[in-house]
Amino acid sequence: MFFFPAVLLGKSISKLTKLLKIGGGSAAPGLYALKIEPELVNKLSQQIPKNIVITGTNGKTTTAKMLAHFAKAAGLKVIRNHTGSNLERGIASTLIDGVNLSHPWGRLNRHLGIWELDEAAFNSVAPKLKPNIIVFLNVFRDQLDRYGEIDTVVKNWCQTLQKLDPKTAVLVNGDDANVLKLAGCFKGKIQKIGVKGYKIRGESAQKLKEKESLDFEARNVKLNGLRGSQLSLIINHKSLIINLPLPGLYHVYDFLASFALGINLGLDSKKMLSSLKNYSPAFGRVEELPFGCIFLIKNPTGATQVFETIAPNIKPEDRLLFALNDNIADGKDISWIWDAEFEKLQPTTYNLQTICSGTRVYDLAVRLKYAGVDPKSIIVVPDLNKALKEARTGLKGRLFILPTYTAMLELQSILVKTGIKKHYWKEE
Amino acid sequence: MKIVIGYLYSDLMNIYGDTGNIIALTKRTQWREVEVKLKVKSLKSKIKKGECDLYFFGGGQDQAQQLVASDLESSGKGKVIKQEVERGVPLLSICGGYQLLGEYYKPHKGPKLPGIGLFPIYTEASYDRMIGNLVIESMFDKLVGFENHSGKTFLKKGADSLGMVIQGFGNNGKDKTEGCLYKNAIGCYMHGSLLPKNPKLADWLLQKALEIKYGKQIELKPLDDTLELQAHQKAISRFSK
Repeated sequence: MFFFPAVLLGKSISKLTKLLKIGGGSAAPGLYALKIEPELVNKLSQQIPKNIVITGTNGKTTTAKMLAHFAKAAGLKVIRNHTGSNLERGIASTLIDGVNLSHPWGRLNRHLGIWELDEAAFNSVAPKLKPNIIVFLNVFRDQLDRYGEIDTVVKNWCQTLQKLDPKTAVLVNGDDANVLKLAGCFKGKIQKIGVKGYKIRGESAQKLKEKESLDFEARNVKLNGLRGSQLSLIINHKSLIINLPLPGLYHVYDFLASFALGINLGLDSKKMLSSLKNYSPAFGRVEELPFGCIFLIKNPTGATQVFETIAPNIKPEDRLLFALNDNIADGKDISWIWDAEFEKLQPTTYNLQTICSGTRVYDLAVRLKYAGVDPKSIIVVPDLNKALKEARTGLKGRLFILPTYTAMLELQSILVKTGIKKHYWKEE
Repeated sequence: MKIVIGYLYSDLMNIYGDTGNIIALTKRTQWREVEVKLKVKSLKSKIKKGECDLYFFGGGQDQAQQLVASDLESSGKGKVIKQEVERGVPLLSICGGYQLLGEYYKPHKGPKLPGIGLFPIYTEASYDRMIGNLVIESMFDKLVGFENHSGKTFLKKGADSLGMVIQGFGNNGKDKTEGCLYKNAIGCYMHGSLLPKNPKLADWLLQKALEIKYGKQIELKPLDDTLELQAHQKAISRFSK
């Protein structure tokens, strides 16, 4: 009964925050609108013919962005929570933003909703979205202070899945033993994605007994440095060669997930693949700048994958800038930096100028020292703005910037202020 | 000289960056040109007396902890570790490892999980999650780490704590104690990782390991700890109210 006033309120808050430049309007409108209409997400999302939920520790944003790219190439109108605001209030804000008020009572005129939900939000928000398709990408240690242990995450997902409609199409990463456990909790069919000959380095002691048969299996994966990767995939008995413009094996998994979602939606596989050429990565994920590149690091597995990807491509004239924050969105516990294999950056980085920044800059500097970086090449600059200036002064090669989540947001705003890029919520 | 570090159940008991402690111990030994060897001791493996000069035991998920508790008993490792600590071999245990070396762990439901009784402590499950930065005053000066536990640990009469809480919850959030010290063995709730930014404690463990092994007083070669001490001081000043 408070549905329409809630949407109106949300819309005005969104306008205000943007007008006053106090944020991208990505959380506050939803937060207040939900207070007067708790069923808002439920009601608004049901106006969208198809909803997709993407969850897991790593790769949510890239998978969502790539799927949106495929869908738009097929002419579909997409709505998604694209600023990484993946709690219920973020979803509500996005939905409110999409409502067309010129229609009586407000309508959402979209074909497809793509929703990324974090490990915890999945359990409360997915049942409200009643998704047609869900993908579980992976589960790694991440912000144990927020999500709890892996076993707990999987157990909660399992309970949520049991309550969902068995007709829901469920996709899981067949190479991740923890995610694979979900097959036992769902009455309907489960499709598996994965890479031939690979296995996710599990966080569980339990190993995959034998290779699972995969519904979407990448083969002949060739990693071509920072330029991207090549792989082949058999679809309808035909082998397709795919050139992925994103580096690292972890992006192969993100691609597989978005491609498999596309197939489930009935999108044409050839059209999806040809549209890959004009795909540009999500902000902070292999984001290219005129003088270097940003790679978000936020948990041990993701960070290690980034290190493995960039290490062979670092040249002696390049520099590194790390920024470690311990705000709530980063996780207040920074123990994870000791599980992330900074050692993989060796020996290229031994004498490379390495600038450290962020609220936990000294912990970061110690981590690098113990990973084998010469303390003489470690420069500590707590303030990120100053750290970026320091890193760019006299830079001959490229600058690899590796920030945690809130440091990445801070960096985006510095880049905007210095005119290097436009506001990220206007990027879409 | 040479130090052999026994890493207990590294495959099952390693969350919250506990590996950082092993990295710190290993590097600080190597930087002093002392040879270091890491021996992983997990399910079913045996430990001989005198085989390891220093033990590390991290925290794990609940399910893993049950497996480990029964293995400590059935493999005989628990008994050997206890005897080794009695003769002065140093040990560092954190969170789950600390709990399993106590007398028992009492879960919400079901029977008590027996520990090996190395530390005169016991732990009870609670519904409070004690999460946050933890600063304590100890014989190794101030120590700083990050705690994340719901079990509440209580010291038995006569037991020594590792230190007193300045900021955070510590053993149980009530009596201001944190951790336990028995001979040269330490149990505590400090992740972080603990040793990299508390180098004095790391060096105490290494020194004790060498002294017990070689039966003489040993002075460790000093290291340049500028970065480590900055991390130590910054964290303490930031988190102590």
